Amino acid sequence: MPYLQAAIRRCRHGALLLTQIALFCLLSFACHWFATWAHSPVPGSVLGLGILLILLATKLIPENAVQLGAAWLIGELLLFFIPPVISVIKYEGLFEQYGVNILFTLVMGSVCVMVGTGFVVDRVFRFERQLNIKKHARRHAKAA
Amino acid sequence: MSSVNLSPVVLTEWLFSQTGLALISLLLTLFCYFAAKRLYKRHRVWWLAPIVFAPVVITLLVFNLDIPLPTYFEYTHWLMAMLAPATIAFALPIYRERKLIRQYPLTIAFGVIAGLLLGMISSWLLVKFVPLPVELSKSLLVRSVSTPFAMEATSAFGGVPELTAMMVLITGIIGMLVCEPLFKLMHIRTSLGKGVALGASAHGAGAAKASELGQQEGVIASLTMIFIGIAMVLGAPFFALIFS
Repeated sequence: MPYLQAAIRRCRHGALLLTQIALFCLLSFACHWFATWAHSPVPGSVLGLGILLILLATKLIPENAVQLGAAWLIGELLLFFIPPVISVIKYEGLFEQYGVNILFTLVMGSVCVMVGTGFVVDRVFRFERQLNIKKHARRHAKAA
Repeated sequence: MSSVNLSPVVLTEWLFSQTGLALISLLLTLFCYFAAKRLYKRHRVWWLAPIVFAPVVITLLVFNLDIPLPTYFEYTHWLMAMLAPATIAFALPIYRERKLIRQYPLTIAFGVIAGLLLGMISSWLLVKFVPLPVELSKSLLVRSVSTPFAMEATSAFGGVPELTAMMVLITGIIGMLVCEPLFKLMHIRTSLGKGVALGASAHGAGAAKASELGQQEGVIASLTMIFIGIAMVLGAPFFALIFS
């Protein structure tokens, strides 16, 4: 009964995904609560990121225990910020009046960031790649 | 004896009640988003990309159906609440790509610092010459950072989270559109150069575009985006002293 098996597999996948998402929400809620309680300058979400990273690095949590949920949350990130974008209807007048200025600023800014960062990183990357190759060669020379 | 009345009149009335409209808003948002995703998979044209198509269609619908914003938010604010768990989820890509990070620490560090500073300085200088209302010019400062981080950091600069989300979105679309001609023009050819530049200037949208260019480009773009986001949130109180 291949259909039934496929259905069972999908159900299990769905349940696993939901559980992992629920765990992320729980951790997020706990961190948010803690950050508010402790007046932490670091917001709860970034605190949670750090905690999860430590848990993963120390192998207290295996990677595949959070993999499905994390992939889903990151993959559907855009869906989560559609609502705040919709609320700019409130500022309709602002966009009518300053639309051209906003667009100009955004385009010029993006071009600056992209060209500047790309230029710097292109140079640093070539340098570091060369460095890595040398390091590699030295290690091989020692081994031989 | 009371019975459940399901006549068309009652149904229509319920549909246009607060709860009905709120539910419709949520379903509409979900439908438009997933429809755009499927459409973009089939036809790769930029205006069908979910980042363009979904917000535009939903805004038009909400506007033309006269759905009041508080009603729109009644259920959809739960979608927004998922931004915090999504931030935590960024721990996984950092952990998985630890080898790449260990291999190119200098490149990534320079990329993050350059991207972060250039993003703020460019907005800061531009609004000195282009007249914009205060709430907008302050919301612009964090625009090249991924949304969950940007919405968290913007209040330190005196920005409005909703306006910031809009600026972040438009910035992402612009980055997607201008990257290829710019890379050609500026002779940016290495995979890490392209990836870091895209992640630094166009966050999630840039990372998506970068993974269309190549696997390593995509990975490094998301890493850059995450690191810049974290740096922005942690440094926001300090940067706010300089840039406002």
